[in-house]
Amino acid sequence: MNYNWNWGVLFEEQYLSWLISGFGWTISVALSAWCIAIVIGSLVGVGKTVPNKIVRGICATYVEIFRNVPLLVQMFIWYFAVPEMLPEDWGHWMKRDLPNPEFVTAVVALGLYTASRIAEQVRAGIETVPPGLSAAATAHGLSTAQTYRYVLLPISFRIIVPPLTSEFLTVFKNSSLALTIGLLELTAQSQQIAEYTFQGFEAFTAATVIYVCIALVATILMQVLEKYTRIPGYVGKEA
Amino acid sequence: MIDIENISKWYGDFQVLTDCTTQVAKGEVVVVCGPSGSGKSTLIKCVNGLEPVQQGRISVDGDDVTAKGANLTALRSRIGMVFQHFELYPHMSVLENLCLAQEKVLKRPRAEAVARAEKLLARVGMADHAAKFPSQLSGGQQQRIAIARSLAMDPIAMLFDEPTSALDPEMIKEVLDVMVELAQEGMTMMVVTHEMGFARKVADRVIFMDNGAIVEDRQTAAFFDNPESERAQDFLSKILDH
Repeated sequence: MNYNWNWGVLFEEQYLSWLISGFGWTISVALSAWCIAIVIGSLVGVGKTVPNKIVRGICATYVEIFRNVPLLVQMFIWYFAVPEMLPEDWGHWMKRDLPNPEFVTAVVALGLYTASRIAEQVRAGIETVPPGLSAAATAHGLSTAQTYRYVLLPISFRIIVPPLTSEFLTVFKNSSLALTIGLLELTAQSQQIAEYTFQGFEAFTAATVIYVCIALVATILMQVLEKYTRIPGYVGKEA
Repeated sequence: MIDIENISKWYGDFQVLTDCTTQVAKGEVVVVCGPSGSGKSTLIKCVNGLEPVQQGRISVDGDDVTAKGANLTALRSRIGMVFQHFELYPHMSVLENLCLAQEKVLKRPRAEAVARAEKLLARVGMADHAAKFPSQLSGGQQQRIAIARSLAMDPIAMLFDEPTSALDPEMIKEVLDVMVELAQEGMTMMVVTHEMGFARKVADRVIFMDNGAIVEDRQTAAFFDNPESERAQDFLSKILDH
């Protein structure tokens, strides 16, 4: 293979600053989307377990819609279709005046999509809690909201930390799809470096290494969280 | 204190309770026994509204449990309940288990709730374990804590749903001792149990259920010495002669 390796290109000021900027956007999109996903995912997940049938139905519909449509299609819908479907003034505002439209759209699309997946994990976590525990809380006079707040959620969130870790890693990887709507995140910047320098191997190796490092840090953070919140002698083995 | 009038309950087409009527007076200890599936656990779960009934009326201390729109949370906080599998909150220390409902339902200040909890833990012999988590304790210890947790709410009556049937034999006594003491202090109690020794010792009355119906409801001595129904005679001969 006739290929001129040149790792130095990654450290030239212009390209290095592209990588750093891409890294910054990837982290920003992923973490912002994660915040949305945790909040909405928890609400929808709880909503799927409450006694009220209408609330359960709405939450189940949310999950089915956002989980079953490909994330890429959702990005396109939010970016290209939604501004056209809104009242004219709002559409104009989204297209002209919304600051960082690619970023905001990517965060919304990724956040709402990830929320549907988190909702399913929250629901599963709540359903794993032995029913006798909520009966005990009810028998002591706790309201439904208090039973969720003090008994069901604290237990179920501990149970779902491991699957949430995978979801947390996925949100960083999925953030790369934002390049399709023009956000210059890590993958987009690597592609751009490859096009400018013809050093595609180096550029995508850099992206790969950065993604792996992000994943490692995220995994370590979640493991610390898991250890810190572990119930002595309950689920899993003692540290 | 507890008035159960003609209640019937169905799960779908299956009738679990058929026209049950009984009363428990203040300070009275009533043991509910019968073969498994006879509806005895369901009956006491109806008393604090954990299970809804389709027919009949239950009132506790004058408050209707079965009325539409009854303020069940307020009512439940006044009735203690102890479960077969303890149901301690696994993510909370023993002390927090006792404080949660005191603080969140009764709105007791923290210091008062802790003081009450510590006093009750000492009473059930668990004062040294306040900082431990439920899964670090034996079944008997957990059940004694569950009893203390209910007592922390200063209940007007206590319901026990097979409190010793998930315990190893040697732990049954430590739980029954606490219950006997409670009965002797005049607590109103409804106890679903197979512990006939306990029934003989402290129960004022014994209710015998079969197939969702109350078959016998009699003074303790009368129930053990000459049960009226064949079904109860058969039941007693099976659990007493071994």
